[in-house]
Amino acid sequence: MKTYGTEPGAPDPVQVGIAELVVTEGQDTLRSYGLGSCLAVALYDPGTEIGGLAHVMLPNGDEADNSDEKPGKYADTAIRALLRRMVERGANYTDVEAKIAGGSDMFDFKSFGDGVGQRNVTAAREELEKLGVPLVAEDVGGERGRTVEFTPGTGTLIVKSGNGEDGVKEL
Amino acid sequence: MKLDVKALGTFYRIAREGAGLAAGRLTQMTGVETQVGITKLNFMRGAEIRQDFEDGREKVGVRVELSGGLDGHSVIVFDRESARSIVETLIADDESEELDEMARSATTEVGHIINSGFVDGWADVLETVIDVSTPEFVTGVTVDPFFGDLEGAVDDDDLALLFQSQIDAVGTEIGFRHYLFPEHDSMAGLLERLRTSEGIEYDKLDGFDRLAKQGAREVAKTATTLTGIETSVEIRRLNFVSLEVIPEEVSNERLVGVAFEFDGTPSGYLLFLFDEESATEIVNAMVPTGTSGDGFDEMGKSAITELGNIMASGFLDGWANVLDTTIDHSPPEFIHDIGPAVIDPVVIQLGENQDFAFVFDTLVVADGREFDCEIYAIPDEEDLERALNDLEVDRVAETPTTAEFDEIEDA
Repeated sequence: MKTYGTEPGAPDPVQVGIAELVVTEGQDTLRSYGLGSCLAVALYDPGTEIGGLAHVMLPNGDEADNSDEKPGKYADTAIRALLRRMVERGANYTDVEAKIAGGSDMFDFKSFGDGVGQRNVTAAREELEKLGVPLVAEDVGGERGRTVEFTPGTGTLIVKSGNGEDGVKEL
Repeated sequence: MKLDVKALGTFYRIAREGAGLAAGRLTQMTGVETQVGITKLNFMRGAEIRQDFEDGREKVGVRVELSGGLDGHSVIVFDRESARSIVETLIADDESEELDEMARSATTEVGHIINSGFVDGWADVLETVIDVSTPEFVTGVTVDPFFGDLEGAVDDDDLALLFQSQIDAVGTEIGFRHYLFPEHDSMAGLLERLRTSEGIEYDKLDGFDRLAKQGAREVAKTATTLTGIETSVEIRRLNFVSLEVIPEEVSNERLVGVAFEFDGTPSGYLLFLFDEESATEIVNAMVPTGTSGDGFDEMGKSAITELGNIMASGFLDGWANVLDTTIDHSPPEFIHDIGPAVIDPVVIQLGENQDFAFVFDTLVVADGREFDCEIYAIPDEEDLERALNDLEVDRVAETPTTAEFDEIEDA
């Protein structure tokens, strides 16, 4: 019996919507559209080619009630959930590396304080540090949106700029 | 009847769970993979439901009456092509273009299973039994055969609480919408049971909806005055959604926008979003020399920003006027970026304190010209609740501008 949802291994990139996370392996491509202050966290194990992508919305899940239900929504819980699911699938914890992109601060609103994007970036860095996962590349901050595509097999995180000026970066 | 955000949040989760159950059953039955799309809780008037529904396409529906734990109607609506595709997955050798007896009964069966999926989701969470009537097959282009005779749900002026979910089959053209029309009294009882805070009088929500309409009218009027382009309000909805849904609803194209934060009762965020063609058209209408190339130069940016600024003042003055309060807004922030990236900072900021949001979603269009402006007004939840409670329902009716707009509203 098939269940509803997107089946891994589909030829098209799998969309990782806001507050979602997906773990896959090999040449499957995971994509998140239009990250503004949201943060894309990509983890992968180069040896087993197992990896995942989370489209994080908020920094701190440990303080929220519903982080069990939606671990992908928060930087800390998303990183832990990605790691756990990858290890369950056969990845080696100690080999896992991380790349992050996003966390822009497009608006200078008073209510935003230090910047909502910056808070996500800081939270992700702290959680990775805590778990001993090396952050090998990042493209964060600024005042532009980003669309990202991640392939666990190569560990490549492609970052397309949303403002049409900064082009495409490969991390 | 009174409602509070907690109760609405519970409803929202139920609707989403129901959509998951329904999608799973559709997959089991047809072998086609399915995906649950956006789930929305709308407060809509009959006239708006009608407008939303009547896209000129022939539709096929399966509806059931609910009783017991929840009274109302649950209706599954397929585009005709979707219904055909489903029939083909069930009856391999059925190639006739018409929906014959066999195809109708196959569609009805599928629709019924989906309806039951949604209803079971509700019954589970509410821990109650909901009885489902024999399914009824309906077909037509307009709203009437589907909802026309449903009790209380679609009077043109009544504000109905409507649950909408979208389910799509992966890699096929199959998709459908689910509408749930709860009966007023039954819904009032449930809201009462689930409510944990003081809550909002439902009638006040109605008043708030009317003032949102006024805000939208102000915007269209301002846009016409400033650009010389004749504009009107095409769609206006009051949605209650999970915050994550908001960026998903915005186009993945690059958009040109002007964003504001506003402060008062209520406070929140206001965004005006144009597609690039519309923004170019507006700049050409406002700046005599037009734009150079595809980008927006300083002149173009300042024209759009100025338009946004004046539209924002109009919109928020409309609100403040009815609420008898003051709402200040920040200086405008121009933005030109991919749709979801434009709105996610706002969603994130609100997400610090709330999981759901009321979204005032408005589309202003021009006749025969490119001018599509999507307006998102997203108030802070607590502020909104306070603003609604402070609102004297009578005042809405007394506000002189309402009368002025009555003749042109939703014409």
